[in-house]
Amino acid sequence: MEIYLPIAGMSINFFLVIGIGGVVGFLSGLFGVGGGFLLTPLMMMIGIPPAVAAASDSNQIVAAASSGAFAHWRLGNVDFKMGLVILAGGIVGGTIGVQFVKVLRAAGNFEFVMKVVYVLMLGLVGGAMFMESLRTILRSRKPEAVEAAAVSEPKLGKLFAKMPLKMNFHRSGLNTSAIFPFSIGTIVGIMAALLGVGGGFIMVPAMIYIIGMPTIAAIGTDLFQIVLTSANVTLQQAFVNKTVDLLLALILLGGSTIGAQFGAIAGKRLKGEQIRILLAVIVLALTVKLFLDLVLTPQDLVSLAPAKGGGH
Amino acid sequence: MMKRVLIFLLALSLAALWGGVAAAVTPEAQQKVVTAASKNLIEIGLSYSGDQVHFFGVNPVPGTDLIIKLTAEKDEEIQFSVKGRVGPFWMTVKQYDVTGAPFMYKIHASKPIKEIVSPAVAQELELGYQAIRHKMKMHLSRGDATPDDADKVFQGMLKIKERANLYNIVEDPARLQVTEGKLFKHYFRFPPAASEGRYQVESFCFQKGELVGYGKDVIEIKKVGLENWLTQTSQNQPVFFGILAVFIAVGAGLLVGVIFGKGGHH
Repeated sequence: MEIYLPIAGMSINFFLVIGIGGVVGFLSGLFGVGGGFLLTPLMMMIGIPPAVAAASDSNQIVAAASSGAFAHWRLGNVDFKMGLVILAGGIVGGTIGVQFVKVLRAAGNFEFVMKVVYVLMLGLVGGAMFMESLRTILRSRKPEAVEAAAVSEPKLGKLFAKMPLKMNFHRSGLNTSAIFPFSIGTIVGIMAALLGVGGGFIMVPAMIYIIGMPTIAAIGTDLFQIVLTSANVTLQQAFVNKTVDLLLALILLGGSTIGAQFGAIAGKRLKGEQIRILLAVIVLALTVKLFLDLVLTPQDLVSLAPAKGGGH
Repeated sequence: MMKRVLIFLLALSLAALWGGVAAAVTPEAQQKVVTAASKNLIEIGLSYSGDQVHFFGVNPVPGTDLIIKLTAEKDEEIQFSVKGRVGPFWMTVKQYDVTGAPFMYKIHASKPIKEIVSPAVAQELELGYQAIRHKMKMHLSRGDATPDDADKVFQGMLKIKERANLYNIVEDPARLQVTEGKLFKHYFRFPPAASEGRYQVESFCFQKGELVGYGKDVIEIKKVGLENWLTQTSQNQPVFFGILAVFIAVGAGLLVGVIFGKGGHH
């Protein structure tokens, strides 16, 4: 069944789009990531112009994340206070990041810089997460070692706990300075703008490993702040670039909202370290793919430049 | 007497000049090729996946060669990136702005174009890829130019356009059926990538390399219904459209959340 996408200006198989939406939605509900880092490349792979893919994805992420956030809120996994503090940092970081992008664009080859940052970032996050969760899983198989491994609070966390502006983040079980999550939010915000994604795949590990939140609370809280940030991006894209394809977003969200529900349920059944190792494997696979893109001879040496390739 | 000779010579040279202009092929001045299209308006609706338009025509000079050309009325302004190797990495090393290339370009001919017309006439009437190459202009916007760039970018563009079925040239009598040298029929496929706008289909008849007949049809592609509303609103009322998009997304997300939430308690 073919369907014509008005802004993308192309016809595409309906079930292909809803299927991709469903798979990404499932991962989004499971890991608490917006899925933008998976969905945008997938959309481009099936021929959607990059500008339309990015803008419509943020629109559907609003839906997937609000569905996921709602599910996690019912399960009591959203730390609103923490989410808002991180969000404030994220907005500051995003604004700085957009300026960075502007400077890089003017210098040329932004796309290349972006891919290199992607590979380094994803490789680092994926690799660290994979090693950590593997260690946890191996340890849990030898019960006698469990006690030795008991909760080692992050060193950075200890440092920030002594700083001013102390807040009690009840749901996360943390009592620390607000400067801490705020600055994490800022750094992730800069990264997210540089990479053109929501940043969930950096934020969740940062919340777990740097801030020290429980995995499930990190996921719920991250989804909550993603709703707000992606809504902001959607509005900006609609106002400035006019590349939001509402029809594409609606089909994607049809698949992804349902997928996200199953993801949240599956997340409840899996252990924290199992979720983390899965996310690590996906992130690492994507890293390898991006790295190969950089070094293998491309199929076409001449391509339509993204800026004007949208057909609009 | 001398004056008369001068005037005569002047008139002669003017006539020669005029003749020269006339020899520069003016399609509209030729005998009309009467044509009909199975439809002149293609509507893009929800399930649109391209369309096919059949054309019928009468050749005014039976037995002549036929070339039929489909082009978009708009030319495109596009930018191409050329990748190159820098150390171990492949990255964009230069960019070209291209103007003057038609957005869509298809040709059906009863036999190879070069057997029908001379290269000069082909270029004049923009028949064949070489003519497009002469017409389009490339401007280096980033990087350093090399002599083979023009060829590389042109071939790259053809590849992209042909893959989208926006360009093709078929020089085959089977594709352009002519009955008793007079009645001809064929069809053009408009791929889904063919966007809104006006397209013209021109029929040329050539006798021994000279244009003897010409006809033109105009096909319009238009979005209708929801497709049209979404396009118009997103382009003309972006603030309303953006807010609408966010509201629909949040609404749909919460709705599914509520439905699944209830289901989960059973």
